[in-house]
Amino acid sequence: MTATDVRPDPDGPETPTNRPPSMHRVKNWIRRPYARGIMVLTVVIGFLLLPLCWLLLAAMNQTGAPASPIMRDIEQTVFVFTLVSIPICAFVFAVLVYSLLGWKHVKGDQVPKDESPAIRSNTIGVVLWTVVSSALAFFLVVWGLIELAQITANSYGTIPADEQPADSQALIVNVTGQQWVWTFEYPQYDKITSETLYLEKDRPVYFNVTSKDVIHNFWAVELGVKIDANPGAITQTGVTPDKAGTFNVRCAELCGLHHAYMETQIQVLDKGSFNSWAREMGGSKTS
Amino acid sequence: MKRVLVTLMTVVVGVAVVAGIAIYTSVAQAEPPALKAEVAGTLDTPQGTLPHATLQLAVYPNSSDKVPPPATPKSPLGQDWLSGQPFYHPTTTIQVPANSAVTLTFIQYDTGGQIYNPFFAKVHGTMDGTMTWNGNSVTEVKSDNIGHTFTVHQYPEATQPDFFLSVPLPMNKANAKTDKAGYPVDPQKIEVTFVTGDPGTYVWNCEFPCGDMYQEFGGPMQQRGWMAGTFEVVG
Amino acid sequence: MSATATAFGAQVPQPVQHGKPGGIMRRLNFGTGLIGGLGLAAIAAVVTNAFIPSGAASSVNYAPIAPQLVYLAALLGWVIGFMAGMGAFIGPIRWLMGRDLTHADAEYMAGKDLGKARYWKFTTDHKVVGIQYLIMVMIILGFGGLLAMLIRTELGVTWAEVFTPSFYNSIIGTHGIAMIIGMIIVVMGPIANFIMPIMIGARDMAFPRLNALSLWLLAAAVPCLISSLFLGGIQDGWSVYQPLASQGPPGMLGYQMTIIVFAISTGVASVNVMTTILTMRAKGMTWSRTPILVFGVFAAALMGLYAFPFYQYSQILALSDRIFSTSFFKPLEGGSVWLYENLFWLLGHPEVYVILIPSTALMLELLPVFYRKPLFSFNFAVAGIVGVVALSGLVWAHHMYMTGWAPAVNYPFMLSTEMISIPVGFLVLVVLGTMWRGVVWTRLPIMAVYAVIFNKMIGGVTGIYLSDVPADQYFHGSMFVVAHFHFMLMGVGLFGAMGGIAFYFPKMTGRMLNERSGSIGLWTAFVGFQITFMSMFVAGLQGQPRRVLQFDDLFNISNWISTIGAYIIGVGMLIFLGAIISSWKYGDIAPSNPWGSKSLEWQTPTPVPLDNFAVLPVVTERPYNYGVPDPYEKEMREHDGDLMTKVGAK
Repeated sequence: MTATDVRPDPDGPETPTNRPPSMHRVKNWIRRPYARGIMVLTVVIGFLLLPLCWLLLAAMNQTGAPASPIMRDIEQTVFVFTLVSIPICAFVFAVLVYSLLGWKHVKGDQVPKDESPAIRSNTIGVVLWTVVSSALAFFLVVWGLIELAQITANSYGTIPADEQPADSQALIVNVTGQQWVWTFEYPQYDKITSETLYLEKDRPVYFNVTSKDVIHNFWAVELGVKIDANPGAITQTGVTPDKAGTFNVRCAELCGLHHAYMETQIQVLDKGSFNSWAREMGGSKTS
Repeated sequence: MKRVLVTLMTVVVGVAVVAGIAIYTSVAQAEPPALKAEVAGTLDTPQGTLPHATLQLAVYPNSSDKVPPPATPKSPLGQDWLSGQPFYHPTTTIQVPANSAVTLTFIQYDTGGQIYNPFFAKVHGTMDGTMTWNGNSVTEVKSDNIGHTFTVHQYPEATQPDFFLSVPLPMNKANAKTDKAGYPVDPQKIEVTFVTGDPGTYVWNCEFPCGDMYQEFGGPMQQRGWMAGTFEVVG
Repeated sequence: MSATATAFGAQVPQPVQHGKPGGIMRRLNFGTGLIGGLGLAAIAAVVTNAFIPSGAASSVNYAPIAPQLVYLAALLGWVIGFMAGMGAFIGPIRWLMGRDLTHADAEYMAGKDLGKARYWKFTTDHKVVGIQYLIMVMIILGFGGLLAMLIRTELGVTWAEVFTPSFYNSIIGTHGIAMIIGMIIVVMGPIANFIMPIMIGARDMAFPRLNALSLWLLAAAVPCLISSLFLGGIQDGWSVYQPLASQGPPGMLGYQMTIIVFAISTGVASVNVMTTILTMRAKGMTWSRTPILVFGVFAAALMGLYAFPFYQYSQILALSDRIFSTSFFKPLEGGSVWLYENLFWLLGHPEVYVILIPSTALMLELLPVFYRKPLFSFNFAVAGIVGVVALSGLVWAHHMYMTGWAPAVNYPFMLSTEMISIPVGFLVLVVLGTMWRGVVWTRLPIMAVYAVIFNKMIGGVTGIYLSDVPADQYFHGSMFVVAHFHFMLMGVGLFGAMGGIAFYFPKMTGRMLNERSGSIGLWTAFVGFQITFMSMFVAGLQGQPRRVLQFDDLFNISNWISTIGAYIIGVGMLIFLGAIISSWKYGDIAPSNPWGSKSLEWQTPTPVPLDNFAVLPVVTERPYNYGVPDPYEKEMREHDGDLMTKVGAK
């Protein structure tokens, strides 16, 4: 055949085409009934799982969360991670379902005769899976590393107590966990102490956390802050609460008999109320 | 048929064993009987005139012929690891009426020392922030002069009112005159008055290291009936 | 009996038979073990008690010492006495005396011609040890399950304290360690012992006496754990973080002794399993002809071998802190709490893979048999297992993100933890690939695989949240973590083991596990499992911390639902147990290869004879030679062939 004779028909198998054979392979694969079935099932299951992204956050927000940028970050992470995990989960569940309902199954006591195709490997499948799962893992890692760096920067988490800036902006609270009560000391306010944590809205706060006896864990639930209270050491974390209200501190490390009862409240107040509380407790701002 | 029977028997026996053990251990560990505050008269408080209830507790450094110890877990050889330790007497299950003014009296027979956390050397949660110590009204005790504390604290229940009460109980001097049982003849007497709100259940424990083992917070301090208990405000 | 034997053409002197075969082993069994253990424990306790100064029991600082020392002496006495009474030391003692065991002695110890009595003795036959492990595992899991029911009852009764907080703290810790021990053993015990040597075409394991030793050490360790509940309990979680554990009552010594003995048991078993697999595979069984279960078992043994010493060491130091007043973990006296946490989690993390890998490998072993298809990408499965083992030792500090130990180190640990999801994903792909286009024979063992993969996805995804440090700032120490690890360890580990037990039941007991009751039990437990732990995820998301017996009203509903689910699990597991018991006694007699498997262990008669094979097999082909050629493959080649000719033609 010469090039001037007949216009090549791109769809006809009889004429030479310049479409590489692999595209035919993909097309033919998609034509197989199970391929389409599994893809449809994946999409359907994926959409059924999609509301989880919002439901998980709804469960986390039942007591007033998010009350700080850190908590908002955490919630965004939960949302994105769920979103990103749904396709793979949906695909796996689709295969499970299809293997019972789509492909043939055999019952009974007799050993069935061999009918399944003896596929020992499929390079494309393996490569695709490796690439996709690695890309997913890579995305999750990069997201997590960036987020961790941001949160650390925002929470002053790595600044030891004696180097914390005398910046009048930040509030410093020394948190002491003791079996089984949390006590808080405000060194900037004549060292007033309290068993309820008072914070000022939109004002960054450093926590210097320690324990007098065993390991406790200081968890300001709706603020998304958590750090172990270790005996003989001071650990730091920090946050800027941006919502006024009453929130919870719970102990998140088993610390003995009354671990379950080692809870207290956080009161996030606006500037005026916070200052009047401090004055009531006998402290005035000294630093 | 036999197979079905055996399977069924397994389920029935299993459930019975679990239920039996659950009921037995629950009953065997019942809290010591409650000590109810007695209501008599009224008291004027900043929240108005409220019924007045009173209750008395003693703190002993160890048991003796005169004062038996609380229920003590024992090893199969009959040894226990709590004898010789301090305890609250007669019980650690306290019941006070709701929406009342309550006066607690403590008779403290034990010695003491330095408390770890000076927060608990102060009085918290009483009606006017003070306590009466041997007739004198004080707001705190020196942090190296403490015998025990009585600290009632938060319960993980948002629907009941927040309640926090902490009373430092001063120590008796080590060379105080003692009677035949070994207890000081002139113990420390502490009185506090506080106002209760709506009904709720709370827990209390001592915050002074008066136990044994690590940081002296083991032993009786981790045992209900000795140095920790429940505090119920009943309506 | 001849005094020499010929080996490789040389005359080798053999030990001389003194008396009946077995010698003193003829008289030693579980009964003498109990007598020895309880007797020596009692003597040690009484003697120690006599040495404690009188009046010490009433002095304030000595008050706990008396019961502690007596208990410790009793525990040591029990372990040594029990092992001695079982005859564990007879082999070495006879070797020291110059009266080494003869072939007849060895045959006696392997249980030749002993009938049912051999299950009660220090028997070296790996098949007997496998059955003994199966019984031990059911006892341990039953004990753990009982405690789980108590825990869920306490959490379900939200308006009162059913148990005191100290007892509750004890049962959660004891439940944890009992279940961990049970899950480590549930596949490695019965299946690695009974099945693996036959599967590789060997007559027994490399060290048969060590095999029996590892089982009876486990049997010695379990009463130590149970006894702790009678001495105040451990009043701590299963991780027994210091320094809280130093405040505990004497029961804590029972836990420490359990771990010290159990670590020896697993170390011995690991060495045995690894040597067997490395050196005793049948002729012709190259690595690419070795079934995947063998790889999984080997990997678990390897991880157990390097990880358990950390755990044992941490408990020895903790015991020293209690008894000898050292301060390894007491910060105010120069110690470090972080030291304990690191030592613990250096075991704690590889250990979950010790639980997961054999169970997953077992599922991979089942798939070809019930889909009549080769395992998809065998090499990829091996790569997955190798990847998990390699990374398992590099991720432990993700349990310590929130400890403040070394915040800078959170970054690399987050990286390694996320990375480990990739090799685990390889294993999931192999499962999916083997299911792909397969005609499934819907019997009980394979149905467990569906349960396992479902749970694995949920457990794996929730693990991703936990591996992210900022998200962990919310989830650490909450019920979310508890639900996650139950999905992995119980959802994958236990349900996988149940499928494996259903599969190997015919070979191990000679009877078929009744499908109907087994399935009812499995699926009832599965439904209960989903209810319990999905609801627990909700509780964790809402903010419920873990290890608390009382909590805010906010968590009531999720806990009520979880408790009802837990009772359903309990009933389901009891039904499955009932199926096992009733099938063992009254089940249909099983043919020697009911599943039509091509694997070596199914080519033996049932019951498997003492030396497994009359003639050791020679392996000549790849495993999983099932299936028919792929019809699509033929069509594709033809189709491509057409295209190729057309394009190539001029």
